[in-house]
Amino acid sequence: MSEIHIDHVSRHFDDNIALADVSLTIKEGEFFSLLGPSGCGKSTLLNIIAGFLEPTDGVVHISGKDVTNLPPYRRNLGMVFQNYALFPHLTVFENIAYGLKIKKMSRQEIKERVEESLALVQLEQFAGRRPHQLSGGQQQRVAIARALAVRPSVLLLDEPLSNLDAKLRKEMQFELRNIQQRVGITTILVTHDQEEALSLSDRVGILGKGRLQQVGTPLEVYRAPANQFVAEFIGQVNLFEVALSQTNQPSPAGEISYEAISHMDGNIQPLALAATQKPEFKNGQALFMLRPERIQLAFVPLDLTANYAETRLLEMSYVGNALRLKVALAKGELVIHTPDPMFAELPKPGDVLYVYWNPEDLYALEAGE
Amino acid sequence: MYTGTRKIYTLWKRASRMKKTSTKKKNQLFHWLFLLPTLLFFGVFLVLPFALLIKLSFQDVDAMLITLNTYSLSQYIEVFSSPVYLGTIWSTIWVAALTTVFCLLLAYPAAYLLVRAPSRKMRALFYILLVSPLLTSVVIRTFAWIVLLAQNGLINDSLLKLNVIQEPLSMLWNMKAVIIAYVQVMLPFAVLPIATSLSETHVNLRNASMILGANRIQTFLKVTLPLTIPGAITGAIIVFSLAAGSYITPLLVGGRMQPLLPLSIYQQVMQVFNLPLAAAMSISLLVLVFIIVGLLGYILKRWEAKMNG
Repeated sequence: MSEIHIDHVSRHFDDNIALADVSLTIKEGEFFSLLGPSGCGKSTLLNIIAGFLEPTDGVVHISGKDVTNLPPYRRNLGMVFQNYALFPHLTVFENIAYGLKIKKMSRQEIKERVEESLALVQLEQFAGRRPHQLSGGQQQRVAIARALAVRPSVLLLDEPLSNLDAKLRKEMQFELRNIQQRVGITTILVTHDQEEALSLSDRVGILGKGRLQQVGTPLEVYRAPANQFVAEFIGQVNLFEVALSQTNQPSPAGEISYEAISHMDGNIQPLALAATQKPEFKNGQALFMLRPERIQLAFVPLDLTANYAETRLLEMSYVGNALRLKVALAKGELVIHTPDPMFAELPKPGDVLYVYWNPEDLYALEAGE
Repeated sequence: MYTGTRKIYTLWKRASRMKKTSTKKKNQLFHWLFLLPTLLFFGVFLVLPFALLIKLSFQDVDAMLITLNTYSLSQYIEVFSSPVYLGTIWSTIWVAALTTVFCLLLAYPAAYLLVRAPSRKMRALFYILLVSPLLTSVVIRTFAWIVLLAQNGLINDSLLKLNVIQEPLSMLWNMKAVIIAYVQVMLPFAVLPIATSLSETHVNLRNASMILGANRIQTFLKVTLPLTIPGAITGAIIVFSLAAGSYITPLLVGGRMQPLLPLSIYQQVMQVFNLPLAAAMSISLLVLVFIIVGLLGYILKRWEAKMNG
């Protein structure tokens, strides 16, 4: 039973509201990520769970126990810090044994537990080294082993991979998930890296401006973002503003036409959209989201009346497995991600491109504040 | 102070690397030109007198204590064979060591306060409070202790009036008074390097310790203290060498009869007029302090090597 209940938690720093009324339940054995841009309050929330900060308001329960006013050393947690925070004056063995010695375990037990933890992160032969003699990735593993050695009820990870280079980070992500599943421990990861959060987590909580914007599985937050903030933070996005009008009538195929007033196509008319979803209009306006990878390219004009535009290429970057394009309409721009065409010649800035997409790919979004 | 010497060291390293350029000779000449006034000053007023002092310490005296032009180890033999002088050496080192220990004990809370000051303004204020005593003369600072500790001083007066004691306590003119005054005078020299060391230890290290189950005291003893040992040793080196060589403070609050080497040297020079013996005592004191400071420095180096490779 190591569920975490966060109940109406707020935290103010003088006049700054770092966290506003966050309620959240993290389930037993779950890998949960707190994701958000810097300054969104995710570290504040983690520090409140860890006990380094007290909430201004609200209650935190861990394993059914109210820990709101308990100091960190009475919470039985494990934590991995961004800079690893290994004790430089202790060896790897002594670092991992640190929490066990505090618990006054016998020497034999400590030895067994440390060896077990080192085996978990595959660093058995490094027990006698000091932190400065290890690489970044190895220090990271020691930090994980140290946190897990005390058999905590919850593992907290504070941007643990952000100091590693890209390749190592990928490896460690995989390993982190692996270890977490083997140990089966409830884990909270704080990160600003959306890819990391999506690939590792069972569920993701997106924080923005001190508020919990959405909680959901990686699939949910990417495919069905709760609002504009989430849509723009998770991946890239094209947003179309549409106005309420008489023409919003369903076609026989169930598609409804809209005019994107934020975008004008080559005929200097609002871009015609056809969507299967019905947006909620607020003050006569609504938002549609279109992911860049859902847009398709054509090099010749197509006979389409909606979800189609003639555009001019502004920028292009080739990233190996994909092309990232930015194209201009008469008014407004679109971001497009498309697989590398391999044999075709790449378009050049200024080239005319015809773009189109399916009605199902337009996702109706709740407008942001 | 600690970072200060480091900075100078890196600057010096950089400067010595610069020499390897094509304008090497020109640069070197330039360096020496800049150094010349300082070198001359130190040569004439430090190295030369020191050499003379060493020479003097090996000279003999006659029955009337007139310095002779014959050389022997007789002065050193007297220093290290007389129970009185040996006792003096021992108590000098003991008093300096006690002062160092008390300074370190008091310096940690003060250093914490400096580093954890709630705002930048408060920190500046704490620094000013800490450093400002250094701007006044040692005589004045020590004299304040006489006002406090004397038979008719502030403390005795208050205690008498409160009927806590019937007769004034004699708190002045003993070693306790010397140590109290020493600690007060030298405390800033211990606080500053410890504060520097403290500010260099990352808050996450303390947090990591606490999340692993260690309370604040355990965290201090097992993480903060070991990690600030470099600062503590730097402070200890400064305080110890100052306390072993001070002369004004013990004279004012301890009186000239206290068994402390600087006072004995003063007596030999000004009252007994045995200059070679005074010189031998000075050199002995200097060598002893060098040995202890060297030992502390060695421990410091070993500790830093252990932590940083």
